[in-house]
Amino acid sequence: MPFAIELKSITKRFGSFVANEGVNLAVERGRIHAIIGENGAGKTTLMNVLFGLLQPDEGEIWIDGEKKILPNPAAAIAAGIGMVHQHFKLVPSLTVAENVFLGMEIRKGGLIDHKAQIERTASLSKQFGLQVDPSERVGLLSVGIEQRIEILKVLVRGARTIILDEPTAVLTPQESRELFQTLRGFVAQGMTVLFISHHLEEVMEVSDTVTVLRHGKEVATRPTAELTKSDLVQMMVGRFVSFDRRPRPPTSGKTVLEVEDLWCRDERRVQALRGVSFKVRAGEIVGIAGVAGNGQTELAEVLSGLRPSSHGAIRLQGRPITGLSARAIRAAGIAHVPGDRLVRGVDRNASIALNMLMGRQDQKPWSRSGIIDHRYLTEQTTALIKRFDIRARGPESPVKSLSGGNIQKVVLAREFSGDAGFLLIDQPTRGVDIGAQEAIHGEIMRQREAGKAILLISVQLDELSALADRILVMFNGTVMGELPGDRVDEEEIGMLMAGVRPGSGASARGAA
Amino acid sequence: MSDRIDSLLGQALAILFALGLGAIVILTVDESPLRVLVTLLNGAFGNPERIAGTLLQTTPILICGIAACISLRAGLFNIGIEGQLFMGGFWATWVGFSFNLPPVLHLLLAMAVAIIAGMAWIAIPAFFRARYNTNEVVSTILANYVAILVTSYLTINIFKRPGGLSETPPIHESAYLPELFSFSRLNWGLIIGLVLACAVHFFFTRMSRGYAVSEMGANPKFAEYGGIDIKRQIFVVLLASGAVGGLAGGVEALGVHHRFMEGFAPGFGFDGVIAALLANGSPIGTIFTALFFGALRSGSLLLEVDTTASREIITVIQALIILAVSAQITIKRRASDSTAGERRWKF
Repeated sequence: MPFAIELKSITKRFGSFVANEGVNLAVERGRIHAIIGENGAGKTTLMNVLFGLLQPDEGEIWIDGEKKILPNPAAAIAAGIGMVHQHFKLVPSLTVAENVFLGMEIRKGGLIDHKAQIERTASLSKQFGLQVDPSERVGLLSVGIEQRIEILKVLVRGARTIILDEPTAVLTPQESRELFQTLRGFVAQGMTVLFISHHLEEVMEVSDTVTVLRHGKEVATRPTAELTKSDLVQMMVGRFVSFDRRPRPPTSGKTVLEVEDLWCRDERRVQALRGVSFKVRAGEIVGIAGVAGNGQTELAEVLSGLRPSSHGAIRLQGRPITGLSARAIRAAGIAHVPGDRLVRGVDRNASIALNMLMGRQDQKPWSRSGIIDHRYLTEQTTALIKRFDIRARGPESPVKSLSGGNIQKVVLAREFSGDAGFLLIDQPTRGVDIGAQEAIHGEIMRQREAGKAILLISVQLDELSALADRILVMFNGTVMGELPGDRVDEEEIGMLMAGVRPGSGASARGAA
Repeated sequence: MSDRIDSLLGQALAILFALGLGAIVILTVDESPLRVLVTLLNGAFGNPERIAGTLLQTTPILICGIAACISLRAGLFNIGIEGQLFMGGFWATWVGFSFNLPPVLHLLLAMAVAIIAGMAWIAIPAFFRARYNTNEVVSTILANYVAILVTSYLTINIFKRPGGLSETPPIHESAYLPELFSFSRLNWGLIIGLVLACAVHFFFTRMSRGYAVSEMGANPKFAEYGGIDIKRQIFVVLLASGAVGGLAGGVEALGVHHRFMEGFAPGFGFDGVIAALLANGSPIGTIFTALFFGALRSGSLLLEVDTTASREIITVIQALIILAVSAQITIKRRASDSTAGERRWKF
């Protein structure tokens, strides 16, 4: 029997960024096939290629054993593919049935046959166990039911393969369970489901086969039953091999940063931090590990004053800094290397010198009585370029002319050259070449020797095991456990990252 | 540096493109484009009086252009300068005819009131932009209509000069902005505009606050991360822009008309915005683009006398320039859309 879907070495580039590189995907008919990977691993891009929203630069799409070219979603729908997007596209003022048939209304004598539409919706909803009231207005319904309507829309258009992009992100645990029931019903009736997620439990629970993507490449495709959660984690974030642990004297500094029972919400008003507590001492590197999207970004934003916390306390050198502005927190002694360096970390169009000035433009000797000392700025920038080995023509070179690694060195140079006692470092080597990684790691170690307290957030385990004195593992907004940096057990950290406390065997997610 | 040359070249091409299209329009009315050009140049720069006349037209465009530069550099778009100018002009006039004060003091008070009126007129859009992220383009453009109608109402219904036209009583001589030469109404407003352009240039290139403002314009997330209070700064920058817009009105009232009347300043605010856009938000560059628009306006006076072309051809050319410049903006924004957090108004 041919595969329901077969993607052959799909490559998709956006400018110089490669979102998918030679990805192969073979989906058997009548299966629930999960695609898992961290945020930015290329899952959604791949599905958009399959649904005709994006055109691959290379590669072929085969559907039911036939090679297809899908110039647009209409072609994909005609080939029997349906997609339920993360963000629903429904008209709130219309009824369920009207939404389901929007754009392909059943007509009778030139008018819309509402009765037939309602009957058809009701029969489909019964057949697949998608409970809805066809004549209810969509605006009055919950998110879980809106999703059912989206699925009905796909079904009524004759889909035999359904793609769901992060379908559980907006659902309650109960709604998720009902959705999984529905999906099992689909495959029982011979349909195929492609399910995108970065939540391990769901994938383990519902899928027959799983494909792991990492950095736009396919890492593995296996039957789910053969895998454990920690296998999945290791495939998603990569095994740690490349860096040796940096030698160091033991730490015995006093506490610099103290975080107590910290809570906050993300943009979607979902709890992103749920009671995080830890301490960082002078001369110590505390690592934060975890699959991306488990609260690390929000933790960094709250600590640097860019996001409000809803509960809890942060103390720096014993002084409470909770709720202060980003400016006041900088003044209190926090330097921040942001995870999204091109968005927050630099002004790409400005010179290196002007990028060095950020945050200190009001301080002597960088400026006097409101006037910038450009000579001092140029001198300092030249010195920092030398000290941090930034490969640039000079202080006036625009940042956008530098490579990724050198842009990161600009950020490090600025943040490490102040007198902050606490360094918040988020993904210091993401997208940076090996040579620059070595240099950046060396610089972080020098800061440790200088007695700085360092919080190092990274999704790269090898980076944490090379640098951190202690590693805290975050999962779903909480600290799942702590490991010593010099004895990282791959198995144990994988379990913690998957939300499983070693020994207990139970998942923490169900309780949360 | 090559960026700057590229952008200058782009602006020059935009102007040439517009002039070329303008030439075609002139041909359609059976007039020689060359003759129109010569007449325009003659009308704008033909003799000292005409040069002074050009500079007189340039002054309000320059000051309004500087007001626009202040907001553009911060990534904001105050398109309500016309309204701020009307408000500034009216209230400066009001101080001018309502009080009897010693010469210099009277003038300074009237100018100060013009500035305050401009600030007051942008305060509400500025507050809503800073606090609720309301689009300032929409709110400031709407405020224009209100300003023009309110000042018109005040002029006709409350402060109308007894008998005659729809205008206020003239201001006292103690509030006059002195003229530079005996043969023209050209006044100290030009000097104010030139000094202001240099001051704003200095602010953005040499001062800490100017750095904070232009980084907010270039990448607001970077500025926020660096500890800059974005909301407060948005409010302050828009007030400053409105203040300069009000000042433009004050200069026009106290230096040229010595009274306020309906149709007080036809489109100077909008011309200022275009001059600033054409100059990439550079106050020094705005001196030259404002001069260009001033020359067009001034030269067009001779156009109807000496050629069969109508003065409206100038409006057509201006519109074509706007078209060419905004097409250029769109193209550049497309090209740089790949990165997040870029400045919103890309020139």
